[in-house]
Amino acid sequence: MSFIGDGSGPLGRDMDGAAREAAEQDRLEAEVAGTRPGAASPVGDDAMTARISADAARDLIRAQRPWPLPKQADPKAPLLVVEDLRTHFKLESGWVKAVDGVSFRLDDGEALGLVGESGCGKTTTALSLVKLLPGNARIRKGSQVKLFDIDLVPKSEAAMRRYRWREISMVFQGAMNALNPVRRVSEQIAEPIEQRLGVERGASLRRAGELLELVGIPAKRGSTYPHELSGGMRQRAMIAMALACDPAIVIGDEPTTALDVMIQAQILELLERLRRELGLSLILITHDLSVTAETCDRVLVMYAGKVAEEGPVRRVYSAPRHPYTQKLMGAFPNIHADRRALEVIPGQPPDLKDPPPGCRFHPRCPAVMEVCKVEVPPEVRFPDGVRVACHLHPAGKDGGVQVDAADVADYRAPLVAPVPLGGIDRAGEGPAA
Amino acid sequence: MTDDLIRLEGLEVHFPLHANLEDVVLRRPRGAVRAVDGIDLAIQKGEILALVGESGSGKTTTGRVIVKLTRQTAGSIVFDGQDVSDLWGQRRLREYRKRVQIIFQDPYETLNPKQTINDFVAEPLQVNGIARSLAEREQRVLEALESVGLRPAREFAFRYPHELSGGQRQRVVIAGAMILEPELVVADEPVSMLDVSIRTELLRLMLDLREQRGLTYLFITHDLSLAWVLADRIAVMYLGKIVEIGPADQVIRSPHHPYTQALVSVSPTPEPPAPGLGAQRTILEGETPDAARIPSGCRFHPRCPLAFDRCRSEEPPLVDMGRGQSAACWLAEPGRPLPTMPTTAAPAPLPEVTPVATPEPSAKADPTDADPAAPPA
Repeated sequence: MSFIGDGSGPLGRDMDGAAREAAEQDRLEAEVAGTRPGAASPVGDDAMTARISADAARDLIRAQRPWPLPKQADPKAPLLVVEDLRTHFKLESGWVKAVDGVSFRLDDGEALGLVGESGCGKTTTALSLVKLLPGNARIRKGSQVKLFDIDLVPKSEAAMRRYRWREISMVFQGAMNALNPVRRVSEQIAEPIEQRLGVERGASLRRAGELLELVGIPAKRGSTYPHELSGGMRQRAMIAMALACDPAIVIGDEPTTALDVMIQAQILELLERLRRELGLSLILITHDLSVTAETCDRVLVMYAGKVAEEGPVRRVYSAPRHPYTQKLMGAFPNIHADRRALEVIPGQPPDLKDPPPGCRFHPRCPAVMEVCKVEVPPEVRFPDGVRVACHLHPAGKDGGVQVDAADVADYRAPLVAPVPLGGIDRAGEGPAA
Repeated sequence: MTDDLIRLEGLEVHFPLHANLEDVVLRRPRGAVRAVDGIDLAIQKGEILALVGESGSGKTTTGRVIVKLTRQTAGSIVFDGQDVSDLWGQRRLREYRKRVQIIFQDPYETLNPKQTINDFVAEPLQVNGIARSLAEREQRVLEALESVGLRPAREFAFRYPHELSGGQRQRVVIAGAMILEPELVVADEPVSMLDVSIRTELLRLMLDLREQRGLTYLFITHDLSLAWVLADRIAVMYLGKIVEIGPADQVIRSPHHPYTQALVSVSPTPEPPAPGLGAQRTILEGETPDAARIPSGCRFHPRCPLAFDRCRSEEPPLVDMGRGQSAACWLAEPGRPLPTMPTTAAPAPLPEVTPVATPEPSAKADPTDADPAAPPA
């Protein structure tokens, strides 16, 4: 549990001894489970181990919080559960079903990648979590966004402000546009601290300076204006701002898209470190699968407002099941493998005002069957923790079980073969068997 | 070599810096931004050469010099055996630009929103007085649109840019560049604004056009893996200099310059590396230095994990490493890989942030509850 370090968290929060011992115990258990001969043991056992250590991780991370959970929170509930999220936009010409039945779960300390082409609903999904949607958007009835088991969907705008910044914060795409060009960087970081936490000016600026140091910017650079910083520095400042109120979840919307590859590597490494050491949970939205491959525990591939495939990163990327995931992966060059022609995904994502019947990917799918054109494929969970919505992978085949939104909330991906990474033993970090 | 289509020799582009208005008036520069600082580069007929580098490395400036949008401060450009370094003046430039075209990065900015696709693509014909009759011009435009995959061309020709998707816009831009049937096309990040699926289609299109017309490309990109997939040769630029050049696969597989090696190591891939492999990345610290203050000696030495004394004082020349590969590094030796790069060192502990003194702000004390007027959200 590296984020705890020597017992005093990097945020200066002390762990009590008992919790630390419990964590150590769990870590050992997880290790034992992983090194047991024949690690490809029945899923049940592994799932059990995962639950123990993941629950311990959850309790530890929550014990480190600088303030208690929100009042109605269930301390044992998963951090974030999204059930059947449907966010639609009203246009003159009809409803655009930008997000249409997305379910997923995010645990404490976990990093989830949200990938897909532009217009597939990634950003809308993220904005729905904090309800920062434009006026013509409606979150449909039956959608649930539960943070510590508190449903945020019915919350009023005023009530939401308890959760934005302090529970869920966001790093927006294009730091040039997200920062105010006429205000000093540290003032901008101090603002949420003052507004949300009621901290005085001087103290908030001091904290802003410390946050800048945390993300690798000398505190004195805080007195500069955004245009005086390079692209990478601006993005770091945005991350500092997202951390201002010690949130549980940070959403990064294409945080590295406009950056050079070396700066991108720096920023991703920073996010990864912050996550491990502060016990953050991360939702990383990107069109670049390669970015999630190195940073995330789990990946959720979206297509046309729906989940195409979801599961542990190594599982999904080493053996993608959904034709869309396969095509998408083929479209990226892999510099560490053999040179091969890049794949083309024919056609374009569908118009979400009037999505195609059946599977939404069927007009572009290389393996399309008759059933794809009429029937929406149900989501099927496989024993390795991957959830797929494709008629090629029906329930019953390879041990797949059909799942609904509620199952997604309850489901914890099995720990395939735990590799102690010096951090939390996360589900799916193991090598592909 | 005789079949070089274009050859740059000792090309330099220095932008003067002026401290104040007086300096500007008196043309008294106080230093210079050395955007391109002495490069030699030859592109053969029918070749795709990728120029790779971070922002600020001078790759775009090099491209602009080739199409003569920026004037070089020193060095020469030889195109198809003719020295075109001092080719200025409208008429001669027009002749030159019939043969050398550029594709810009952003198809949203390249196209004039008030101009139809037809007008945009036909403009080069008009300017150059080719295909004077309307019918002939239209015929040429439709052919160009067809050749970039905008079919039926007639339907696209009279639309406005806002009616097209990003990928279609970039196709229009390519059609505009191709209509004069150039020999050399400088493509400056032609796909970096586009979605993955569209990206591949456009790269295929560029390759097809090369096949059909024997085009030569200078492909400018920051994406090493894209360069590797597309190009015959890769030139890696750092702070205005070419630090390594060679056949694409060779440069990636056996880089002789630490900068190339680091770039390869951090290039993300869709397949996650096996456990442990991820640790072999070399993340360079800091950012590309200011081109107005280029470090002494090897310009890469402040960020180089392998730098030693000589690197700080002497600038390494670009040395032939055999098999068409050259690198500018004191450590580079033909046939021998670079010393192992230290992987990213164990980072210093994160600095502490003082916890906020207020415990859970109570409902009353919570400013967010008390004040519904909207601060940032």
